[in-house]
Amino acid sequence: MSVGHVARAFEAAGIPNAIIMSKVFRDRTAAMSPPRVLLTRHPMGRPVSAPFDVEKQRGVLKAGLELLDSATEGGTIIEYEKPYRTGPFDN
Amino acid sequence: MTNTGNRSNHEPSKETFDEFRNSFSYGSRTDLFFKWMKSGSADLAAGFLQELLDLTGHLIDDGDTRPIVETIINAQAEAYAGPGSFEYEDGPFTKLDQPVSESRVALLTTTGHFVKGNDPNPFGIENLTQEQATTMTAEFGRADPVLSEIPTTTSAANTRVRHAGYDIRASASDRNVSLPIDRMNELADEGVIGGFVSPAFSFVGLTSQLRLRNEIGFEWAARAKAAGAQAALLIPI
Repeated sequence: MSVGHVARAFEAAGIPNAIIMSKVFRDRTAAMSPPRVLLTRHPMGRPVSAPFDVEKQRGVLKAGLELLDSATEGGTIIEYEKPYRTGPFDN
Repeated sequence: MTNTGNRSNHEPSKETFDEFRNSFSYGSRTDLFFKWMKSGSADLAAGFLQELLDLTGHLIDDGDTRPIVETIINAQAEAYAGPGSFEYEDGPFTKLDQPVSESRVALLTTTGHFVKGNDPNPFGIENLTQEQATTMTAEFGRADPVLSEIPTTTSAANTRVRHAGYDIRASASDRNVSLPIDRMNELADEGVIGGFVSPAFSFVGLTSQLRLRNEIGFEWAARAKAAGAQAALLIPI
């Protein structure tokens, strides 16, 4: 819930923002009417990717950033299509 | 006799299933990745464990982790389904004045990251460990949130994480799992964003929600603006 308060405060202060989060907490965050949300199909504690999944990290961040450009109204929630990938990945 | 759920206790167990599943949430079997078994129903936890065992049988033969991951995600989502304590019919919305490729973007997470040597020292305790923190959830929930500043040139080796509310293993292994500083620096270098605001920000999301909502969130927005933020990515854990 913390992120919902921050998102609303930042938006009200004129800082457009997008939340990137696991879909596990979708209902709780959506209930707070945040401006923009990108949901990932990831388990708790791994909102962006598995450790060292650099390709996924880049893809998720780009999708979140694109949401800043594309959203035309508050409460925009989309889901990142690609599922969680387990490692190991190179680091 | 009260059964503590301690596996070293060799006396005949009288532990109920509810006691068992609840023990993963700040109990004798604390495991923050599975603490949701207490939040959901007994049927959810029982069904999950049965499916997990079945899928483990498949995993050792085919090595495919995807069904287990999906099962975990679905169970976690069901356990936390529905609104929390805060519901709003609508909210503020500010359109970005320029493309994101021309915008200075800030990063703020609820993950509890901080810079080595600049520990926020919750409750005045120096070198608080993750294990100690997990015994202090009530204290964290009542306390004011503290925002750590993490210069975007901070190395991974000098980045620390501690949080009483979630399984930090992945974030401790690779900060980019939840504090993607390295990737944001790359995206700035490539021109995907106009700039990456330094410092990045992080706090422990397990905190006083009312203080955060009523005052501190606005103070942090002012700090982000002062740092040059024109937009932000927010990453909760």
